[in-house]
Amino acid sequence: MIDLLYAELKRTWIQFIRYPTEVISGIVIILAVFYGLFSSAQYIAGPGFAFGDRLDSVVLGYAMWTLIISVNNDIAINLQIEAETGTLEQVFLSPYGAPRVFLARAFASLALRLLILVVVLLLLMGLSGSRLAFPPILLLPLASLLMAGYGLAFLLGAVALVFKRVQQILGIFQFLLLFLLAAPLEESTGLMQYLRFLLPMLPSTGLLRDLMARGVGLDWATYGLALLNGMVYFVIGLFVFRWAEATAKQRGSLSGY
Amino acid sequence: MLDTRDLSKVYGRGKQRFEAVKHVSLTLHQGEVLAFLGPNGAGKTTTIKMIAGLVRPTHGLVTVVGEDPHRQPRALRHIGAVLEGNRNLYWRLTPEENLEYFGVLRQVPRKVAHRRGLELLSRFGLEEKRQTPVQKLSRGMQQKVAIAVALIHNPKLLLLDEPTLGLDVEASEMVKALVRQIAQEGRAVLLTTHQLDVAEELSDRVAIIRRGRIIAEQSTEALLKEFSSSTYHLEVEGELSPQQIHTVTQLGATVQGTQITYAGTSENLYALLRALSPVPLVAVQRDRADLTQVFLKLVKDQPDASL
Repeated sequence: MIDLLYAELKRTWIQFIRYPTEVISGIVIILAVFYGLFSSAQYIAGPGFAFGDRLDSVVLGYAMWTLIISVNNDIAINLQIEAETGTLEQVFLSPYGAPRVFLARAFASLALRLLILVVVLLLLMGLSGSRLAFPPILLLPLASLLMAGYGLAFLLGAVALVFKRVQQILGIFQFLLLFLLAAPLEESTGLMQYLRFLLPMLPSTGLLRDLMARGVGLDWATYGLALLNGMVYFVIGLFVFRWAEATAKQRGSLSGY
Repeated sequence: MLDTRDLSKVYGRGKQRFEAVKHVSLTLHQGEVLAFLGPNGAGKTTTIKMIAGLVRPTHGLVTVVGEDPHRQPRALRHIGAVLEGNRNLYWRLTPEENLEYFGVLRQVPRKVAHRRGLELLSRFGLEEKRQTPVQKLSRGMQQKVAIAVALIHNPKLLLLDEPTLGLDVEASEMVKALVRQIAQEGRAVLLTTHQLDVAEELSDRVAIIRRGRIIAEQSTEALLKEFSSSTYHLEVEGELSPQQIHTVTQLGATVQGTQITYAGTSENLYALLRALSPVPLVAVQRDRADLTQVFLKLVKDQPDASL
């Protein structure tokens, strides 16, 4: 499994770096957006407001928004691209089984995206002289958020396997994502206070707001539930993905697009 | 090595129900090349994909080296495949990188995959191109890399769906030579192709599928023999004497100048050869069907009722 993870990291990195003009233009775009954030043009951040008004919060909010969007779409888009280019069936010939391969791919692409974000943020801190500070404890709700995010990514991957063309669904899904990331349901009263633990990612984003915007410490009991939420959605995602794989094999439509 | 029993695949339901493959049973032994032939839409690719575990059969069983790829994922370690209509490779990666990546994907340890990849590139004459992105290689080279990738985990069964499609003559010859080598190493090769000369040259056995059902399966040689007539064409150097023409005609042959056509028993053939002595012989040839004739005859002649 370590070899597989390494191989996916290497493949992801080579495919990213092979054409330098693509890399440079991609980084310039990210740099431009973050430079806007650093220049206090916070409106550019869109839903980033959800995590507070301080520069740290705005930058983190935007980084997380872009990260979660790419994580969610990652598996579905790659499945579609590989079906079109004709490598998908070779991937399904792996004795590891598709879920493990796509999990390794998910980690690899997450690592690449985090690396790009860190490099861009370090560059900008150097350029602008600003300093960003995040409490390391942020990593805990971020991990549970990413777990639920990957659960949704596998669900969307399952949709791509069975229904093939998913661009429109991915577009609509971004609105749902906006709600899941930005709706402060942790402040609500009544039944929704409890129901929010059933929705994907919401408990984790609530905790991130506690840490970033409200300056409240991490509530461990709530974190336990957020972690459980992440794990449950992750397992559901994997389970549905396996079902979708079996369905596509039954229909003989694995490589179609 | 490969055993399929009663494989069937049904797509759709109700009025849209379509039986793509019907009760296909195939066996393939070590070092054997089986040419799997059939018209477009006959069920070749569906059968190959059922063998590779990519399409689930509605009925029937596939075993590769005793393991079922649909129930035991480890059975996939025994299967290598180059699938038609697919690139089978990452075009941004070089041949060397593709080989290492797919090796690991097939559960070969990374270092072993790297070493074996270099060996395959050297064997396939691709050493110089090992660091060129695949998309910059010629179609023939890409196909060679795809075959190398299919061999990276040392599979016992190689599935080749139209391996020479779209290749020029030279590249096609290279691929044919590779397939021969691969079979000589002891691997079983299941090959589909529309180029029947390729199938005739490479295969030990032929299976012909039509409308999802196998209509012929036997050794290539036996099949060609069965469809060949027992007519011989002889050519002599110079004119035959009237006596010779008389004897030859008596034996049932017809003479036209230096050309003699004979359709009779093999004993009489030798009598005919004795009668021709001492006129020098230029050629003695038996009418031999080629696979194209056999294929067309079988595919066209099979009445639907028998299917």
